[in-house]
Amino acid sequence: MRHVAFVAFKLLLERKRQTLVSVLGVSIGVSAFIVMSSLMIGFQSYFIQQVIDLEPHIRIKPREERTDFMFEEPVLVLGERLKEKDKILGWYEIMQSLEKHPEVLGVAPRLVSRGILKYGVKDKPVTLLGIDPQREPKASIIEKFLIHKNLKKLETNRTGVILGVLVAKSLGIQEKGKKLLLVAPNGQTLLVTVEDFFESGITNIDDARVYLNIKTLQSLLDRQGEANEIVVKIGDVNRAEKISRDFQEIIPYEVESWQRAYRNFLSIFKIQNTITYMIVFAILTVSAFGIFNIIMMTVLEKKKDIAILMAMGFTRRDVLLIFMVEGFVVGLLGALLGSVLGYGLQEYLESIKLDVEGLIRTKGFVLDRSPLFYLYALVFSLFFSLLASLYPSYRASRLNPVDIFRSQ
Amino acid sequence: MKVVELLGIRKVIGQEEILKGIDLWVEAGEFVAIVGASGSGKSSLLYVMGLLDKPTSGEVFFEGQRVDFSGEKELSVIRNQKMGFVFQFHYLLPEFNLLENVILPAIKRGMMKTEAQERAYELLKRLGLGGKERRKIYQISGGEMQRVAIARALMNNPSLLLADEPTGNLDSKNTRAVMDIFKEINAEGTTIVMVTHELDLAAQAHRIVEMRDGQVVRA
Ligand SMILES: Nc1ncnc2c1ncn2[C@@H]1O[C@H](COP(=O)(O)OP(=O)(O)OP(=O)(O)O)[C@@H](O)[C@H]1O
Ligand SMILES: [Mg+2]
Repeated sequence: MRHVAFVAFKLLLERKRQTLVSVLGVSIGVSAFIVMSSLMIGFQSYFIQQVIDLEPHIRIKPREERTDFMFEEPVLVLGERLKEKDKILGWYEIMQSLEKHPEVLGVAPRLVSRGILKYGVKDKPVTLLGIDPQREPKASIIEKFLIHKNLKKLETNRTGVILGVLVAKSLGIQEKGKKLLLVAPNGQTLLVTVEDFFESGITNIDDARVYLNIKTLQSLLDRQGEANEIVVKIGDVNRAEKISRDFQEIIPYEVESWQRAYRNFLSIFKIQNTITYMIVFAILTVSAFGIFNIIMMTVLEKKKDIAILMAMGFTRRDVLLIFMVEGFVVGLLGALLGSVLGYGLQEYLESIKLDVEGLIRTKGFVLDRSPLFYLYALVFSLFFSLLASLYPSYRASRLNPVDIFRSQ
Repeated sequence: MKVVELLGIRKVIGQEEILKGIDLWVEAGEFVAIVGASGSGKSSLLYVMGLLDKPTSGEVFFEGQRVDFSGEKELSVIRNQKMGFVFQFHYLLPEFNLLENVILPAIKRGMMKTEAQERAYELLKRLGLGGKERRKIYQISGGEMQRVAIARALMNNPSLLLADEPTGNLDSKNTRAVMDIFKEINAEGTTIVMVTHELDLAAQAHRIVEMRDGQVVRA
């Protein structure tokens, strides 16, 4: 093998320009893979993480189709009749039985309704979430998203509300303590005080949600003792779908896991991943063709040298290996350079401060900087480089030295 | 002892019979010149003798052993350890300096690099290339290139040196230098088979083999 390495490395070193071009080709593919993966997976896992923290892992609600507020313009129709079925009968008993389940960490009731907030001349249709301030933190990680961590205020101040930051923004409210008018669908009104703001980063949620004490909402809607949603937190979020199906067997209401509630997003992510990896695959293919081209050119250009190597005792296998080693080294160097480039790009992207306003709102790019992407990139680039050098190397090994000596 | 022996060698390419039943052997220590008109089959014969080309029929014995042309590995080992090749063209690798070109057969053989380099230094010095070991091949003259090629052919101390018109590209001074080297190493025991169409060079060999139209007409 020493003789193979001796020739292969010499060729790589002395043909610097060609080596550099093919290494650069690979490194572009590798860095593209790393950066695109970390951007895309970063965004997606951020989104999913926020959803998991913010939304109930499992939600129990009346069977009658109430479109999820994530996908609905919270337009209020004043005087809308309360749907008779929009409640969960025996919600307290259901909660008690769910709490006995070993994987359940917490359960909380909610009363969800639409409403309008009026502040000065502005008004804003919102989703009202009546929560139990004692129980709610056990069933969702709401406190993490509160700017002043004032959840407990909803207990003491029955007219306290927590506004989504975008709700507050569109009403023109910047600080807590402000008073505004809450209008319920039945026409009832209540003067409420802003106790806190709520920022999840997920635009649709921050732009619609208003939290208040469930008792306050119950009496405003004249629905004393009612709840129309039970939210459940479990230990292993990935088991939500499975557990929700178990619950469904015993509960006469609709049981929905977060995966099912967000299935549209999850399948969009799948499509997004497929498209991105197709692009990266295309880039890697192009750089593989670069390697193919350069090794093929080297082989054609070096027929004479291959012939004399064979005459002096190099076997066909040696010749094959010489060019495969070249491909391997190019792939390896490309992966290393690409990783450095990718790392630099990640650093750069992370340092940029900008207001992302879309499905999510952040102060910059959310990157997943998992070392796994580097590992995958290394494996891919080695695989592609070896694949690309296979045919030219084979061609080199099949040369007949006599044909070459004759043709000189 | 016969270094190499050819028995009934025929080589057919397409419709053409290039070698038409050749019987020929070379004794150890001989310096044989092969002459003949262009196209008479001299190179073709040398390729068979050098185990580079498989004859259509007939047998080759190398140092008394019948050569099996189907075993690529064994053929490579014989070429590497027992044979040296010199052609009209130098076939030096442009990416390698003189020293690296010369040590290639020894590296293939498994010799340590430092040991190979020591021997290569000696060979190059002996062939009048002392001090130029680190040059690239485009930094030396045509005559010097051919001497580097000879040094490479001698690197593994072959028992048989095969040369196909080694002076074909050289002027008379360089030709004389190459012939002197050949005679010298032959005197030291290396068997040489040299193809040439220059009769005065052939005359310097021990024996002249003449070919015509794929056959040996004088051995
Ligand atoms: N690949 C081939 N296909 C067909 N015929 C070939 C092939 N290679 C060589 N020949 C023929 O074989 C014959 C012998 O060729 P060879 O090269 O051995 O001759 P030579 O004596 O070395 O000639 P020269 O002095 O010109 O080098 C020639 O007639 C040549 O045309
Ligand atoms: Mg010839």
